[in-house]
Amino acid sequence: MNRQAPAAEFPRTVLRGLSGLVAAAVLVLLCSGAAGAAAPESAKVSPEPAAKPAGQALLAYGDEDIWDENGQVIKKTAQGEKMTLADAAANTPDPLEGWNRMWFTFNDKLYFWALKPVSQGYAYVIPERPRLWVRNFFHNLMFPVRFTSLMLQAKFDAAAVETSRFIGNTAFGLGGFGDVTGDSKPFRPIPSTEQDLGLTFGYWGMDNGFYLVWPFIGPSSGRDTLGYAGDYFLTPQSYLNPWYWSIASKSYDKVNEVSLRLGDYDTLVEASLDPYEAVRDAYLRLRFKRMND
Amino acid sequence: MKKISLILSVLVLSLGIAASAFAGEPQTRLKNGVDKVIAILSDRALKGPAKKNERQAKLRAVADSFFDWRELSRRTVAESWSKYTPKQQEEFIAAFSELLEKTYIRKIEKYNNEKVNYLREQVDGNHAFISTEVVMKDKKIPLNYVMIKHEQWMVYDVVVEGVSLVKNYRSQFHKILSKETPEGLLKRIRDKIKALDEGKNVDDVVGKEG
Repeated sequence: MNRQAPAAEFPRTVLRGLSGLVAAAVLVLLCSGAAGAAAPESAKVSPEPAAKPAGQALLAYGDEDIWDENGQVIKKTAQGEKMTLADAAANTPDPLEGWNRMWFTFNDKLYFWALKPVSQGYAYVIPERPRLWVRNFFHNLMFPVRFTSLMLQAKFDAAAVETSRFIGNTAFGLGGFGDVTGDSKPFRPIPSTEQDLGLTFGYWGMDNGFYLVWPFIGPSSGRDTLGYAGDYFLTPQSYLNPWYWSIASKSYDKVNEVSLRLGDYDTLVEASLDPYEAVRDAYLRLRFKRMND
Repeated sequence: MKKISLILSVLVLSLGIAASAFAGEPQTRLKNGVDKVIAILSDRALKGPAKKNERQAKLRAVADSFFDWRELSRRTVAESWSKYTPKQQEEFIAAFSELLEKTYIRKIEKYNNEKVNYLREQVDGNHAFISTEVVMKDKKIPLNYVMIKHEQWMVYDVVVEGVSLVKNYRSQFHKILSKETPEGLLKRIRDKIKALDEGKNVDDVVGKEG
């Protein structure tokens, strides 16, 4: 029996070491992120941005686009500036491309060799309806992330609606399995409640910094990595003890989510000539849209 | 009270009819195309793997009559478009549209009676922007179409959740064209179609790009 004590102690020390590492990484990112956030401000003020990466002009090609991706009429800016804000977001620098491509390939294999077969088998055994309940449950559980982000973005109406949804679904939806509040619309339209800290930093004016692919987590950016680290502490599952329950529950959430979206990633990769580039563009544009929803 | 509610309901009803009647030419045409696709996908006589070829041929015919492949190709290749000879341009359009049809028809074949809502139509000269949403079981997916009128209103870009098809390919092509010749890009598209035809695993194809 005595022998087991150090074994049980082991993950905890590892975890402590890890959290120290994460904290250090966050600090480093915070500094670089802050520098990145400061940079675009000055760029906006000066009429000509200092260094334009080649190929920027390509983003809006031919007859000038009249609408942006969401159907907003593009306001013509001075000096033939053709980029929309979404284009600028998609143009986030990718200085670590080689490194990112390596992890992209890793994640891609992980999806096709492990995540997809497991999700397919799971979807085969469990009908869609229970899987939607599970989705609701995990979505409800992530309430702290959304609430905190909305409060930090000063979207108090949306935060209030989100809170009442959380209370309603937890109390009357069997702890969140049922989405009983899904059909009730707020009296006044509210901004999207699907927010996280990365989007909050973006909402405050911080730009992506640089594009970054993490193993297991997938596409991210300097800013979103910082947000992700913050979200980690707002995710209830992170506090599950022992640590592998936390991983297991997050993995299960992922498998369940993928089982409801089987084929989405496949099509994007299948149809593209450079899947890495396609995913990068899609990720950055999707995040930009979420930020403004 | 009853009278008021009657008047109100008549008013609301007539407004609803008016709104649908006032859908402009581009949206009417788009809806026509989407309805045709849905009709093929829901046709019982065309269901099942045995009818796959017939069904896909029909879907392709609809896509060909509603997508302006030339406009779409020109915009994705962007500045390098003029480096292709007119003949090569035709070849490019044929290859690229085949790639898109092959992959995306497979995707929409999973259609499961999702409802399409037409939200907004904007027209400016010979361009139009139609905002729609597809109602899935657990969420709504915004799907926008950008159209152009040469002879007829045709779609040249599709925007899914803020991701434009044209712009997504433009960034890929730009990357490839910075290293390879325009002919090289055309060859890559053809190789990809060949790989898909041979029924290779998706990840094999991905591995080759790496």
